[in-house]
Amino acid sequence: MAEIVESGGGHGKGDGKVRAKKMSTRVDMTPMVDLGFLLITFFMLATTMTKPTSMTLNVPAKDKIEEKTEPLKASKVLTIFLGRNNDIYYLDGIAADDDKAKTDMGTARFGSEIRDIVFKSKTRINSQNPKDEQGNDPFVVVIKPTPASTYRNMVDILDEMAITKTKRYALVDELTPSEKELLGDKVEAKDQ
Amino acid sequence: MGKVRPKKHPPTTDMTAMTDVAFLLLTFFIMTATFKSNEAAEITTPTSISAIKVPDEKIMIISISPEGKVYFGVDAAATRVAMLENMGETKGISFTDLEKQKFSFQSSFGFPVGQLKSWLSLPPDQMSQVKQPGIPVDSTGTSELADWVYAARKANNQLRLAIKGDNASKFPVFKDVLANLQSQNINKFNLITGSEQPPAGWVAEEE
Repeated sequence: MAEIVESGGGHGKGDGKVRAKKMSTRVDMTPMVDLGFLLITFFMLATTMTKPTSMTLNVPAKDKIEEKTEPLKASKVLTIFLGRNNDIYYLDGIAADDDKAKTDMGTARFGSEIRDIVFKSKTRINSQNPKDEQGNDPFVVVIKPTPASTYRNMVDILDEMAITKTKRYALVDELTPSEKELLGDKVEAKDQ
Repeated sequence: MGKVRPKKHPPTTDMTAMTDVAFLLLTFFIMTATFKSNEAAEITTPTSISAIKVPDEKIMIISISPEGKVYFGVDAAATRVAMLENMGETKGISFTDLEKQKFSFQSSFGFPVGQLKSWLSLPPDQMSQVKQPGIPVDSTGTSELADWVYAARKANNQLRLAIKGDNASKFPVFKDVLANLQSQNINKFNLITGSEQPPAGWVAEEE
């Protein structure tokens, strides 16, 4: 009988079966991790996490007919002027045309300083005056931003109103002649 | 003799866990990302203790730059196109489809309407480099800004209005912007601010 003998080729011993070498199934993850962290870094830097908040400001309509109200008494009003270089000037319960206005006008900085003044004035005026018919506190703040002040000053002072829980405040952008005289060049816009 | 030498393997760490963490974080950041769109000017807003969030959609934003230039922007691209068409109608300028398309990519702009066409004719990469003069605003309350606000509200009457002013911008500019809006009978504004911690012991009043 004829026999076919497979020989040569150098592979296999004995039975000559070809066995595939067992390969590891493990994949090297390092480049993948690298890529992952690279993308994380990118997204972390590109994301703006803090969402802006908004502050509502209601102004009276221009063409609305003003209800007849009695004019504000200076003794119930804290007038705040926003001047140049973030300065605040204030008149606590006194009108600008008063003789004592010059000496009584105080200055303050934003932050706790003006907050204390508002609180002090609020307690004083509210304790000295009765509530009005609608049950509102008599205390009123008149905010007068001048051309020298910045938008930031205005937002900050409105924020102080929210902090001190002052319900009645008015934003008035015109100075009366006596106020102009009192403040002088402190409120004039100048190129710095 | 006869010593069994352990086969030398390179030290390997199992990276699977690390990959898991990395991609988990990546997913989180991708989902939460809101990109800074190409704004006409860099604006740093003041901070306030207010906790009301600015809505993301249906909003028009008037920006005031530190130099006092005024920019205007609307959120949705479709509204931008409709707004431009309305504005063109009132001013008697017609815009081509390409110009409209280019305009819809701009999240905010600051050009007088007369100069808008020449700006839109520039290639996109040059458009961002042009120094924008700002939208004309004056104290009369009937300047172009008022027209733009009107055109935007005509395009989508549900738009809310927000004002985004820079820390350093002067008050008179804000006053003029206010005058323009009041002439449109808009008396309620949202001022966009950053958030700030209220002072210790401060409690919000219940409504």
